[in-house]
Amino acid sequence: MKHYEVEILDAKTKDKLCFLDKVEPNATIGEIKSMFHRSHPQFYPARQSIRLDPKGKSLKDEDVLQHLPVGTTATFYFRDLGAQISWVTVFLTEYAGPLVIYLMFYFRVPFIYAPKYDFTTSKHWVVHLACMCHSFHYVKRLLETLFVHRFSHGTMPLRNIFKNCTYYWGFAAWMAYYINHPLYTPPIYGEQQVKLALIIFLFCQIGNFSIHIALRNLRPPGSKTRKIPYPTKNPFTWIFLLVSCPNYTYELGSWLGFTLMTQCLPVAFFTMVGFIQMTVWAKGKHRSYLKEFRDYPTLRSPILPFVL
Amino acid sequence: MSRVFLTWAVTHSVIEVQSEDSVLLFVMAWTVTEIIRYSFYTFSLLNHLPYVIKWARYTFFIVLYPMGVTGELLTIYAALPYVQKTGLFSVTLPNKYNFSFDYYTFLILTMLSYIPLFPQLYFHMLRQRKKVLGHTQDYSKVE
Repeated sequence: MKHYEVEILDAKTKDKLCFLDKVEPNATIGEIKSMFHRSHPQFYPARQSIRLDPKGKSLKDEDVLQHLPVGTTATFYFRDLGAQISWVTVFLTEYAGPLVIYLMFYFRVPFIYAPKYDFTTSKHWVVHLACMCHSFHYVKRLLETLFVHRFSHGTMPLRNIFKNCTYYWGFAAWMAYYINHPLYTPPIYGEQQVKLALIIFLFCQIGNFSIHIALRNLRPPGSKTRKIPYPTKNPFTWIFLLVSCPNYTYELGSWLGFTLMTQCLPVAFFTMVGFIQMTVWAKGKHRSYLKEFRDYPTLRSPILPFVL
Repeated sequence: MSRVFLTWAVTHSVIEVQSEDSVLLFVMAWTVTEIIRYSFYTFSLLNHLPYVIKWARYTFFIVLYPMGVTGELLTIYAALPYVQKTGLFSVTLPNKYNFSFDYYTFLILTMLSYIPLFPQLYFHMLRQRKKVLGHTQDYSKVE
């Protein structure tokens, strides 16, 4: 069996960083990253981007050396992706925050509202309902992070955790402040409005969960395969006929329900900002599906049926 | 963006502030800056940029920028007591949208934001100055 030689150059300076001889032809990029890590301990594999061309796309960990367009002396270019943090860590931190923060406002912990309100409870039943819904939503997200989602990437750049936590924790505090305020005004149309909002919220929570389960089942444990999602026996997944990312569609629906339930402008802002971000993600995902699969269903829109 | 804010949201909206000296300060700084800046853009587009305009654009800011910032901050500061007294642009609880906004606090936060922003912009301009005006000196050295 002929062995390969691998040299790794810095993508920007073109300096020779590492030379590996006697590399097996069936070695993967992942294994090469581990070897590079040994000579450069500060660059753990997750922060390495290895490519064939200094300005090209990153090669995947699963790519096999002998199947790449390289000679027996392969030249790769390295770029440092910066400090990395695992997706699971980021998700758990950014979701635990809103759960705890909202409850602090709900229980009117001191130094938030005037001292005479410390540890009092709201007299409006919609406030209690809102707390249950908000808490349920984030507990659901935490459990899904631990037991449901199958992540394509292990890590993301470290600075994302500060950006993401500021977003989630900041908005949670802003919404919770008003909903749990002693001067909170309940919805104009009273019980009818709250009941309708609750139905919308629960429907979309179940829908969102159904989509997460359906997506999980597309992917065997520990793998990173990508397949076209299709409707299953669960009616909540039938929306796949019209939409590429129904998890985002249902998420929007949940927050619209919560906005209606609380009739609170900051919640409306949060819903709108989230919708904008999810639309960006949905369009990207939709484009990837179209690029990767020739037979991708043409009726589907990224996030809103026929509209967006 | 900050121009519109200072002009409409502060100086126009708080009439008592309009007779302050600080307003004269930032209006003067902005006027001179903009005359130079837009001349710079115009000549650049005509591909005929006199060196003196380029030099002015990258040199006058050294004095004009701190002058303008001082005028802006003093004006906002002068507006504070009137905003607090009249509750200008502010929304209080309770209301049916369950939202509140305190313009007075917002103005204070705006003033504080100058602390990180001003040095960043100022040093960026200084670096640009070195890059843009610096190499012409090298050419004269070569000759």
